Amino acid sequence: MTGFPTRDFVALVPVAILASGGLLLLLTEVFLASTRRGYQAGLTVVTALLAAAAAVVQGPSGAVFGGQATVDAFSSFVTVIICGGVALSALMSAGWLHARDAERGEFYALTLFAASGMALVGMASDLLVAFVAIEIMSLSTYSLAAYIRRGRRPSEAAFKYMILGAVSSALLLYGSSLVFGATGTTLFSALHGAKGAGSMLLVGGLGLIASGLAFKVGAVPFHAWTPDVYEGAPTPVTAFMAAGVKTAAFALLARLFLAAQVGAEVHDLSFEKVLVVLAVLTMVFGNLLALPQRSVKRMLAYSSIGHAGYLLVGVISARVEGARSMALAGVLFYLAAYTATVIGAFAVVGALEERTRGDEEGKAPWDLSRFSGLASRRPGLAFAMTVFLLSLAGVPPTAGFIGKLFLFKAAVGAQLVPLAVVGLLTSILGAFYYLRVVVHMYMKPAEGSDETVAAPAMVFALGLAALVVVLFGLAAEPLLRLAQAASAVAM
Amino acid sequence: MNLLTVVTFVPLVGALAAALLPRDEAGQHRALALAVSLITMALSFGLWFGFDASPGAAEFQFEELRPWMPSLGVGYHVGLDGVALLLVMLTTLLVPVVILSTWQAVQDRVKEFMIAILVLEAAMIGTFAALDLILFYVFWELMLVPMYLLIGIWGGSNRLYATVKFFVYTFAASVLMLLAILFVYFNDGGTFDYVQARNALQVTSEQGRWLFLAFALAFAVKVPMFPLHTWLPDAHTEAPTAGSVILAGVMLKMGTFGFFRYAMPLFPEAALTYRPLISTLATIGIVYGALMCFVQTDMKRLVAYSSVSHLGFVMLGLMALSAEGLTGGVYQMLNHGVSTGGLFLLVGMLYERRHTRLLSDYGGLAKQVPWLATAFVVVTLSSIGLPGTNGFVGEFLILSGTFLSRLPGGQLLTVVASTGVILGAVYMLVLVEKVFYGPIRHEENRHLPDLSLREGIVMAPVILFIVVMGLMPGPFLAPAKPAVDRLVQRFQQTEARLGLPSQVGTVGTAVAARPPPSPRGAY
Repeated sequence: MTGFPTRDFVALVPVAILASGGLLLLLTEVFLASTRRGYQAGLTVVTALLAAAAAVVQGPSGAVFGGQATVDAFSSFVTVIICGGVALSALMSAGWLHARDAERGEFYALTLFAASGMALVGMASDLLVAFVAIEIMSLSTYSLAAYIRRGRRPSEAAFKYMILGAVSSALLLYGSSLVFGATGTTLFSALHGAKGAGSMLLVGGLGLIASGLAFKVGAVPFHAWTPDVYEGAPTPVTAFMAAGVKTAAFALLARLFLAAQVGAEVHDLSFEKVLVVLAVLTMVFGNLLALPQRSVKRMLAYSSIGHAGYLLVGVISARVEGARSMALAGVLFYLAAYTATVIGAFAVVGALEERTRGDEEGKAPWDLSRFSGLASRRPGLAFAMTVFLLSLAGVPPTAGFIGKLFLFKAAVGAQLVPLAVVGLLTSILGAFYYLRVVVHMYMKPAEGSDETVAAPAMVFALGLAALVVVLFGLAAEPLLRLAQAASAVAM
Repeated sequence: MNLLTVVTFVPLVGALAAALLPRDEAGQHRALALAVSLITMALSFGLWFGFDASPGAAEFQFEELRPWMPSLGVGYHVGLDGVALLLVMLTTLLVPVVILSTWQAVQDRVKEFMIAILVLEAAMIGTFAALDLILFYVFWELMLVPMYLLIGIWGGSNRLYATVKFFVYTFAASVLMLLAILFVYFNDGGTFDYVQARNALQVTSEQGRWLFLAFALAFAVKVPMFPLHTWLPDAHTEAPTAGSVILAGVMLKMGTFGFFRYAMPLFPEAALTYRPLISTLATIGIVYGALMCFVQTDMKRLVAYSSVSHLGFVMLGLMALSAEGLTGGVYQMLNHGVSTGGLFLLVGMLYERRHTRLLSDYGGLAKQVPWLATAFVVVTLSSIGLPGTNGFVGEFLILSGTFLSRLPGGQLLTVVASTGVILGAVYMLVLVEKVFYGPIRHEENRHLPDLSLREGIVMAPVILFIVVMGLMPGPFLAPAKPAVDRLVQRFQQTEARLGLPSQVGTVGTAVAARPPPSPRGAY
């Protein structure tokens, strides 16, 4: 495997920037005075912005490395979303970690390594490359989840995440080997029209791969790890995982799904049926299980399952030629909107979180009662949280509403009306549990102590996220156009 | 700039300005909100006088069409027909009154309160003005948020239950409408534009029925039609006075307006199919709402149930599909806004004095607060539909319009609905008697202050409109006429196209040719 042209490597510049930023942070942690670490979050933000800029500037290079990766407008869009997620979550991490005396260069380095993995996942168009990229992403996020092991819950979360993540990686790998056995190739582009098309081996292989990815996005019935891990991991990490891992995994799922679907001879593959069942289960159970949660963090974790279900609907809608571009653009837009929204929401959760020291078990650090009376204590924080919750619930004029509109429009266009009905009906449940937080913030008196950590950087990130959410709800056209351009050239 | 757009967004700009004012300056917030709502009202008079109601005039006026999200096929398209114009005027006139009525009632978090009211006003105007299905949906949902906050923050003791019920009920009913809108998009050549969709929509009868039901569900909850009304008594009772007035005065009309503007003209065939069902439910609602009023011990709950009854009349008039019935329905929307809005204002004033809504805590107030009692009686008479008040014109048009219409079983329904008028007179007069007449049973009631100057200013426009709209309905009926005639025509064309037996319009040409049988003023 020699002699890849230079342009293939140039195409990977955004990934290289992210990884080098991570290395730089590791070095500075060693060599610079360790008392002042304020620069670290800043460096992370700058790195993310540089990588995003590189992704925008470089333009599409098409298939690189012999078709094992595809750098096109689609992957660039994904990279930009991920970099945005990194920047926002780094800004909110700074204050949160500082308040817990846990601000270290490793944290940001791991974040950047994870991001480089995510960006690679978005480009992968070969099963092995996808696997390696997913592992880069996953190993970094396992470590991040275990970053602050204070109390039992974080340890449990990290351990659970790693074990179940390893299982999903194994499924992915085994599925890949079956696909290779059936078709003699691991390239997505060679999947359709391959000689083993329609064989049980291929069906089984793709099914296993789908299960592996379903683990990563937290689709029911592969969701069991999500609430525990999301709740146990440090809040900034949860925010980053919810946004970044989901974005990367859905980008890969979309690419793979289309590659497997496009060939007419494999059109009756069970891949699509598997995804439909997953989507329905995910939407229904994700939202149902979020209903009884009193811990806001856990509620957001379950709700992220529900959102994965909506995104699955978007991916499935790409099956019809006429609706394909719309569906993919919908997925991209939804991911962008969800990234800003969910990071913002978790940032508020993090700001209100009760600090638990040492091994003492926090008495419900994310309980609804922590939000009681927030509107009178911290009107700005309460307003921002309301914006995020409305966006998650899909109420206009927020980005979340436009995202849902986009996704379900694609679903109706792809003759998937029943799926759209399930999606819209389950979003009613969402209105109920998201609004409960608003009820506590605005309509209940404050209880307990006012212990909020709102560092300037975090306030800035929150304001920015809220602004983005409202702006993309009111003036979505530029982003919509970019998303459509990104998905028109893809595949 | 388009005047309609200006009227829609001035309250929103006001809300932004209020957000920048310091929290502690309650007086500034009140003054700012009142000023903004008065400016909006003044501007809206430009719409009223600029509207051309002659038969040849454009269907939608003050139109503005510009791309909003062309990638999704969504445009910013606004415009008014006569009915929307009337409802916009109702909104812009009612909001300053409401703001003035909260001068003393709202002391807590005045800033947020005023912002919520102004955002609500913009959303309401936008809902009436929208001519794009997605734009309509956006405004429609946007209305929910401020009202949810109004009830939940400034409401009564059981406000949390009421406000969550209100939000979830209406949100749940609307999501299927969104789905129907999306389905329409793919069957009208790919546009969310209402005017284009109405002309180009191609669906089978069965699809049309499902789509109609999806729209109708959202609107029927908002109206609220029996048996989907259960959120209303809770929301009305727990809402602060301002919330009740806006809810009753304007927001309930969103439902009936939705039927008139969207559900019926978009799916005329399905509307004809479900017409017997809806008119029957409307009639049940009339009688049921009235009967429920008899057993209420809470004044606000009583008025809330009377709304169910009155909105039943509106729906019956719309379903009659005759010019008189439809006109009456439209007129009754305005009447209900004025009279029930007025009743909630007066109940709110009583509540401010005694801090109770229970009927049993009142009695014999007429001597203590003669002006308040007079206002209450006038508004009550309007609500009953006494000739000379606005209520009479609306109810008479609806009942005669339905009786003479070709609605199957229309005469029977009219007879049953008429009992609602009688029952209405009974429960409203019983209410007046229990509150204002008889002996004074509670010592606290002996020294209540009468209407203050501010309260007098609040009630004056309400009473003025009750009398003016009762004596000369012409100017208020005129703008509605072209829109009503168009709808009747549309249904007649549909019948002709489908070869159905004629069930639209009035029986006998002699009656149909006559102008609406109403006391005529400057018409």
